[in-house]
Amino acid sequence: MTTVTAPTVTPALGNRILAVVRLHLTNRWTVIYLPWLIMLAILALNVAIWAIVLSAAAPENREEVRQNLGYSGAASYMFVYMIVIAVQAISVTFRFAQGYSVTRRDYYLGTSVAFVGFSVMFAVGLSILAAIEEATDGWGLGGKLFTSTVFGEGDGLARAFVFLVLALFFFFVGAAVAAIWVRWRAFGLTAFFVGLAFLLVGFGALIALTDSWVAVGEWFVATGFLGVYAWSLVPTAIAALTGYLVLRRATPQG
Amino acid sequence: MSAVVEVSGLTKRFGSVTALDDVTLRLEENVIHGLLGRNGAGKTTMMHLLTGQDFVTSGSIRVFGENPVENARVLQQVCFIKESQKYPDDFLVRHVLRSAPWFFPNWDAGFAADLVEEFRVPLKRRMKKLSRGQLSAVGVIVGLASRAPLTFFDEPYLGLDAVARQTFYDRLLADYAEHPRTVVLSTHLIDEVSNLLEHVVLIDEGRVLIDAAADDVRGSATTVIGAATVVDAFVAGRDALHRESMGGFASVTVGALTPAEKAEATAAGLELAPVSLQQLIIRKTGASREVEQSA
Amino acid sequence: MDDSRPIFLQIAEQIENDIVSGSLAEETQVPSTNEFAAFHRINPATAGKGVNLLVDDGILYKKRGIGMFVASGARARLMSRRRDEFTTQYVRPLLDEAAKLGITADQLAAMITKEGAA
Repeated sequence: MTTVTAPTVTPALGNRILAVVRLHLTNRWTVIYLPWLIMLAILALNVAIWAIVLSAAAPENREEVRQNLGYSGAASYMFVYMIVIAVQAISVTFRFAQGYSVTRRDYYLGTSVAFVGFSVMFAVGLSILAAIEEATDGWGLGGKLFTSTVFGEGDGLARAFVFLVLALFFFFVGAAVAAIWVRWRAFGLTAFFVGLAFLLVGFGALIALTDSWVAVGEWFVATGFLGVYAWSLVPTAIAALTGYLVLRRATPQG
Repeated sequence: MSAVVEVSGLTKRFGSVTALDDVTLRLEENVIHGLLGRNGAGKTTMMHLLTGQDFVTSGSIRVFGENPVENARVLQQVCFIKESQKYPDDFLVRHVLRSAPWFFPNWDAGFAADLVEEFRVPLKRRMKKLSRGQLSAVGVIVGLASRAPLTFFDEPYLGLDAVARQTFYDRLLADYAEHPRTVVLSTHLIDEVSNLLEHVVLIDEGRVLIDAAADDVRGSATTVIGAATVVDAFVAGRDALHRESMGGFASVTVGALTPAEKAEATAAGLELAPVSLQQLIIRKTGASREVEQSA
Repeated sequence: MDDSRPIFLQIAEQIENDIVSGSLAEETQVPSTNEFAAFHRINPATAGKGVNLLVDDGILYKKRGIGMFVASGARARLMSRRRDEFTTQYVRPLLDEAAKLGITADQLAAMITKEGAA
């Protein structure tokens, strides 16, 4: 009565992770084409709005209006959409990967690598669009979508860093949300968001009660834009870890 | 006599429902095993546990000597073809075939291509648009071409027409003969596959009712038919699995009869009918009182 | 393949039948286990069991690297065994059935002679 053991030749970890990355890449519409289409649609929409606003303003006010176009937050839609991409990517491929004998750890590692890759892709793409925006002086209308001050006042490289860090944040928050969805479905997701809301409000209350808003404001100023964005890597890491810990006990049956 | 799967005291509960209750089992290497039982008996749960996709409530599982959960070394040698595998939205059939080798080290692309032709699966169609039968065919193709040392098929024939099913059985047998591996087949169509099985496990309501060589199970029951009084006299003292009566006639299913006992029955004017694996299993798992048609 | 007996016994019987009828001559090669399995659509292990049964009985023997062959004297041995079993297998049931129909042993003997001559 002996036990058979598995052949000791296991494909290396690198290969297994690569398999998961390739898996995510087969979903090209969801992770690449559609997001860019949306971004370009947002851009087109903004350009149209700027054109309308500018032409509606009296000629003597035009310059003033142009200056004030600097705060388009529309690009934030793109980043929030990354949460959607992440959730779709995971909820669709997790079950498949489980069915194809991939361990949760290999899956999460591979997915993380893929997400970092996507973040880099988006950062590069957005930087290119930002460069074009600068070169055309705001698409010929003085608009600032990709060079909006939300992304800091630094040069192209600093902005690229901000894009990357933001993308990573939203992708991994998306990963955590996706993990919660896969493991606990709608109930878990609701509980999570309610809990998160309480947490944020509680945090805000804490700051208010200890009269620390000034201190918070000072910290922001002292750390500077880049610094604050760099600090966002911490919640990103926390989100990534949370995602893994949640997914570790998830099963492919809803 | 080497075991590729060893399960001991396995229990799985989903809330208040006990899907598997203290199951102990051994699956030998390079044997075709049949995992039989009614809907909800626990077969699919068992396979999910054996492939590390779900977690035990208590008990232990050893696949290739190790716990399969989160164990890449073990899972790389396993292929689990589910009855309801979900594929990524954009996947076409050919994406499934192209991505399979990334996950299954022993994948045989040539074999897969042959099977695609035999089952007439459209390579360029989206997985979402396939019929139930085509979906099953893809599952079968992946399961066979993966050549995984331990392959599970969970009701792989759903939607397949009779010709396709026969193709599956034939290809399975032929490939198993040439590339021996451990195959676990869960099925309702017991009679169709009974000749393929070497070992049979019957699960009912989370417990193992039968765990025996198929040959031992086959011929382990006989149906005695004749005048009710004569039948009753003959079967007195034996465990009756099933009894039916029609007017003055009775048909009782009992255990195996020795040749001497068979002769005795025939001499008494009774008729003996064989009990197929499927009938035996239906009797043991208590199907509702149906009127049986011909033997 | 019927359901009343283990398949490997049925396989063994079929091979024996072929030997007795002469379709499988002595010292000729018998199809491989895999061929039997594919032909009858059964598990190769089961086919193998049937073949091994005959090997144990000395009806078949294995030539290393080539395959299974019918042993010399196999036919004679099988015939002899079947003759021994003939009474219980055929004569007894015949007599029982005849008795049910009210046919005496003498009438039976006459029927047999008549059929035999035809």
